[in-house]
Amino acid sequence: MTRGLETMSEYPSKIKTRKYFIAAILLFIVQMLLGLVMSVNFLARDSSTNLPLTFDILKALHLNLMVLWLLLGFIGGLYYLLPVETGRDIKHPRLIDMQFWFLLLIGIGIIISEIFFTGRNWWLVEGREYLEAGRVWDLLLTAGLLSVVYNVIATILESKNKLSSPILVLAAGAIGSILMYVPGEIWFDSIVAAEYFRWWVVHYWVEASFELIAAGVIALILLAMTQVRREIIEKYLAIEVALILLTGIIGQGHHYYWIGTPGVWIFLGGLFSALQPVPLFLMVWSAYKDLKENKKPILNKVVLYMIIGATIGNFVGAGLWGFLHTLPQINFFTHGTQITSSHAHFATPGTYLLLVIGIAYLAIPEISGKLNFSQYRGKIGFWLLVIGFLNMIIALMIAGVIQVYQQRVEGLGFMSVQNTLLPYFGWRLIGGLIAFAGGLLIAYDLILISTIKVKVERNNINKEI
Amino acid sequence: MNNNRLILIGLLIPAILMIPFSIVSFYTDFANRNPDPLSVTVDFGQNAYNAVEGKKAFEQYQCTGCHTIVGNGAYFAPDMTTVYKRIGENDAALSNFVLSGAPAKGMPPMRDRGMKEDDAYRITAFLKYTNMLDTNGWPGAGSWERDGNPDSTPAQNLDFSDIWQVVAGIVFINILIFAILFAYENKKNDEGA
Repeated sequence: MTRGLETMSEYPSKIKTRKYFIAAILLFIVQMLLGLVMSVNFLARDSSTNLPLTFDILKALHLNLMVLWLLLGFIGGLYYLLPVETGRDIKHPRLIDMQFWFLLLIGIGIIISEIFFTGRNWWLVEGREYLEAGRVWDLLLTAGLLSVVYNVIATILESKNKLSSPILVLAAGAIGSILMYVPGEIWFDSIVAAEYFRWWVVHYWVEASFELIAAGVIALILLAMTQVRREIIEKYLAIEVALILLTGIIGQGHHYYWIGTPGVWIFLGGLFSALQPVPLFLMVWSAYKDLKENKKPILNKVVLYMIIGATIGNFVGAGLWGFLHTLPQINFFTHGTQITSSHAHFATPGTYLLLVIGIAYLAIPEISGKLNFSQYRGKIGFWLLVIGFLNMIIALMIAGVIQVYQQRVEGLGFMSVQNTLLPYFGWRLIGGLIAFAGGLLIAYDLILISTIKVKVERNNINKEI
Repeated sequence: MNNNRLILIGLLIPAILMIPFSIVSFYTDFANRNPDPLSVTVDFGQNAYNAVEGKKAFEQYQCTGCHTIVGNGAYFAPDMTTVYKRIGENDAALSNFVLSGAPAKGMPPMRDRGMKEDDAYRITAFLKYTNMLDTNGWPGAGSWERDGNPDSTPAQNLDFSDIWQVVAGIVFINILIFAILFAYENKKNDEGA
């Protein structure tokens, strides 16, 4: 951290990663806005048909923009963390800029085709959950991600240091997330096969590839911020990653209970996905141990908040909230209810949002040469996010339990159950508004930090470039 | 290198196991008795529409943006896996419902979204096919069974006069959350001092 400005001049390409983080946080704001509109749709259902954008378009953008800002945040983080680990600058710095604008262009394309072409062109809007963006955007996105992987591998191959495990894990996660995009692109006549391989994309992203990136990034941030011995952090990382893969790859089975695949998955999925919280607990445990052992004072408290939040959010949100409804005997009743929604709104922001904001708070002050930025806005923003999302999660959880009981056990109709749930959807909207305030505050803070620059250092950096 | 070997083992063992598991999932002697989507058709007038075209239309009109199919999708609208049975296996009623929607409940008339009759017929064929899937018993016998008519319950809006339980819940949960917040912040201040 204190070596920030020296490494800036050593690795000039770092400054190019700033726009990735700013774009990621701004897209997150848009995603939250869409979520707020949708929660109003739940409260007054005819608003969905009266507003210019119906629920399905908002929902598709809510998911697709999330995937986009997640990728932007991860790619920015990868480019930011790679130089120090490999001891050399990124191989092709100009690609960093080009990839950013390319990905942003894809994002704009996805938004325009969702708004104007839903139902009109299968190549532009495909409408499968998480893969709503049409084939054209899928192919372009794959090409963009491939060029990122090329740049990362080219940099790693000319590394001055010995290949470290965090870097290998990050690279594996990046390659995995692209490889796993391919099965979702194959056309199947059967809905069973199509869903089977659609989950390869979704599950192997959020519960394997992205999880590897998260574990690697947490390890690298701990390495950068603390004085814990590298061997300890790397050993824990290796065990975590091995366990994530060992349980997560066959844990895929929890998506195969009721989609028309054979009953063998009820056994396999139940067994392996019940073990999935174990590596996530290990992540909390190792981070706790590392921070306790650490004697070096950590100046950037906001990053610390985000990292602790991300490990706990990952364990509780993805691990425990997932375990709640992963066993087939329970999932038979809870599948396709608001309980899944509660889990998704805990696991994704709890892990990946906090992680991306954490890297942004690590990178942007250093890039802007403002290491002693005032931290109270970041802390308040973090707590607002926590309070907002916890309210949302608990409201959805209660709604889900009521829905399961009334709809799946008592057999009431969908609409009458939704009418019962209205107060809880109102509670969810309140949580969403609080979280939105937190997101706005953090976006404002990050933009503020990134625009106020210390002039002398900025000039030096420019000369170096 | 030991670390990397550990990671490699963690990756390769389950990845290799996924190959036979995937084969078992689709090899017809073991797999569930799902119909061939090409052979599932509905007749409208002179034409027969099959479930494969229907699947493409179902994706294109982004039905899972609000509904779920085999439980996957959005939770704004009911699950479509067994809707064919719920509507009394009535092809005409189902395709009409798709075209005219239920605006008061949040479903736009799909006609307004540019859907032609042909696509509604194709989607009907697709929903006939999903109703025939062997989903290991999901979504439960007895749940959502109705008399062959669309759900007649009207959608309500939030009534603020009858939400005191929820207000009590909000207050209680937020006291708990703030307790965590203050405990964390105060502990840090003590350490700092």
